[in-house]
This record gives sequence, C-alpha cells and structure tokens, in this order.
Amino acid sequence: MLKPHLTRDSAEQYILGALSPESAATLEAHTLECEPCARLLQEEALLSEQLQEVAQSFPPEVRVIRPARWHVRRVAAGAVSAALAAAASLALVLLPGGRGSHPSTVVSGGVAPAALELELDAPRAIVVACPDLATQDSCAQAAEERGLLVQSPLGTTGNVPRYEARTGLPEGALSARRPVSL
Amino acid sequence: MSAAVQGLRMTLRMPKEAEERVEPEVARPADEDALARRALGGDRAAWDALVARHHRRVVVSLLARGVRVDRAHELAQETWARLIQQQQRGLLTELRLPNLALTQAAFLAADDARRSRRESISGAVEELPERQHPVDPSVSAERRLLSEEQLSRAHAALAQVSPSARNVFLLACDGQELPHAEVAARVGLSVQRVRQILCEVRKKLRTALEEETHA
Ligand SMILES: [Zn+2]
Repeated sequence: MLKPHLTRDSAEQYILGALSPESAATLEAHTLECEPCARLLQEEALLSEQLQEVAQSFPPEVRVIRPARWHVRRVAAGAVSAALAAAASLALVLLPGGRGSHPSTVVSGGVAPAALELELDAPRAIVVACPDLATQDSCAQAAEERGLLVQSPLGTTGNVPRYEARTGLPEGALSARRPVSL
Repeated sequence: MSAAVQGLRMTLRMPKEAEERVEPEVARPADEDALARRALGGDRAAWDALVARHHRRVVVSLLARGVRVDRAHELAQETWARLIQQQQRGLLTELRLPNLALTQAAFLAADDARRSRRESISGAVEELPERQHPVDPSVSAERRLLSEEQLSRAHAALAQVSPSARNVFLLACDGQELPHAEVAARVGLSVQRVRQILCEVRKKLRTALEEETHA
C-alpha cells in the first residue's frame, strides 16, 4: 500500500476538520483500502460523538445550599424494588409545589416510580443518591471533586433501592412540573 | 437489596442560578435561528450556510456508525437533499440542527444496512460494493451509548481541566457546531491553539472513558 497508514493524530485532525482538502482526500482514500485504518477512523469518529454527549450533559456550576431531610415511605418490597434494582440509574428531582414541597420522582429506563419521598427545606433542589456499595466510593469521590456535599442521611438504611449518581440532568428538568425522562 | 443500601450517601446540589457562567449553554447564535427561519422559508443560501456548518458533524456521525467514508459523504448529501425536499413540500415546521440532520442520516444508514442484509440473505453479498459493508459491525448501538459511569468519569475529568480549556471544549462541542475560527474569536486564541486544546481535552476524556472498559 503506497499511502501512509493513519495515525491517531491524523485521524483526529481529520475529524476536527483541520486537514487540508488534499490531505483529507488522501486519508479518506486510504481508509477505503485499509481495514485497520478504517477502524481507527471509526473509533475516532465514535469518540467525537461521545464527546459531544459529554459536553452537552456537562452540568452547569452547582453549589450546595443545605442538607436534605428525608425519609422513606411505603416501599413495596417486591416488584417495585426488583424493578428499581434492575434500573441502571435513577435520580430524584424535587420540585416545589404550590405550598410546601411536592416531590416528584424522575426515573430513567421506564421503570416504576420509586416509592421514596424526600423533603427539602430548600425551595427546589436536585438530590442525587448513590448508595450501592460497588459505586459509592467513586460516586462520592466524583461529587467531592466537583465540590459537592456528600452526606449520609440519618437513620434510613432500609428499603431504599439502588441509585447511582447522575451528574447531568436534561435541559428543562429543573423547571419541569412532571417527571422528566433522563 | 439490603446490602446495597448500607452507607447510603446523598449528594445535594442546587443550580447556580443567575450567577456568572462563562458561556450560557442554551445560547444559540442569533444567526443560527435566523438562518433556520430563512431555510424554512425556502431560502437556498440559508440552506447552503446551514449545510456548510453541520455537514461535517453528519459525516462524523455516520463514520461512527461504521459507514465507510465515501458512502458517508453520499448519505450526508442525501440527508440534506431529503431535508430540503421535505421543506419544499411544506413538511418541515421546525428546523433543529444538527439533530434533525443526524436523525435523518441515522435513518438512511439503517436503511442502507437493512438493504445490505437483505441482499446478503438472498446470496448477493459479493455483488454489493464493499463500501456498503459496515467497517466494524461489533461497534453496536450499545457501545455507542455512554454508560452513566462513563459519563460521570468524563465529567469528573472535564472538571479537572483548566477553566479556559474547558470553556473551549464546551464551546466547540456543545452541539452548535461553532466553527473553530469562531470559537477562537470568542475566547481570543488562535485557531491552531483552539485545536491544540481540543486535542488535549480529547486525550484526557478518552482516558476517562476507557477506564471503565478495562475495569
Ligand atoms: Zn492503513
């Protein structure tokens, strides 16, 4: 093969649109003849698409105002918790009601809403809980790195389904009046 | 279940409202909205400008799906042709780019793949041009989607780069498809420096995303 193989750099430059039209054409022609280079280009394209997702879900600056008071109610032991355990991730978004707090639950993956209610003194806030043992360290660390308060709730260690930290919320979730799909 | 809830931790966060944020993420350039309106009215020059801005992203999204590069260019062209056609028939009421184009392109790519499969079942696969075979079929839709954990790792890594580098990255990758020259103008750097920063951030995030794969 006469043309040079792609390097990660050249593939990256191509994806970024930084190559001259001639270089870009040469690179493209090469990927049509060379399977490994076609894969390399696909990988870089895939990374680019993923980085778009990372950028678009990067949360705006956040700050901690005060800890939450919370409690657990009516957790059905059977189907609900099984469904929740199976859920890849959940996040709870608390929204202010007309008077007093009016929790609404946001659940991803189409599972049943959690029978978990939280109360906040704050008018509106996002609560992210990351209780499972496998991820709580990395979750807490990630939160701490971002300057967030990580807190253990008081006296409620039972019957709470598995959660993972959710660091990006969809646009509009904060002002939504109903459950928002994550 | 009970083991999973021991040591439950919570993180509480509030959106920082009405406080300084370097670049408001919802800000779409005014000219983008004006262009979209003109394009919806059938203005060909507006379409050309929109295509010029978003074409690369459409091609890259097709490459990421394993479409070969020459076919990716064809499908990207077809994408725009179809959108313009829909507009001319009065079927477009809103023009949200690049999402609409990405969706259309994904549809065309899936259609292409279906056709290849059908023809391969009927025994005609050898007659298909090789460029219509996927580059790597193992890169499934699942692998394309980032897991929650990958996302939070990437966000953590992004939180650690310098604010100015992060700003460049977010400006360039927030979906508006700002040309690098415009990113450079906004942050007062050269285009070359902007691309250098993008590559550096890209490396860090690549590492952050790959961590989990190896775990
Ligand atoms: Zn090669």
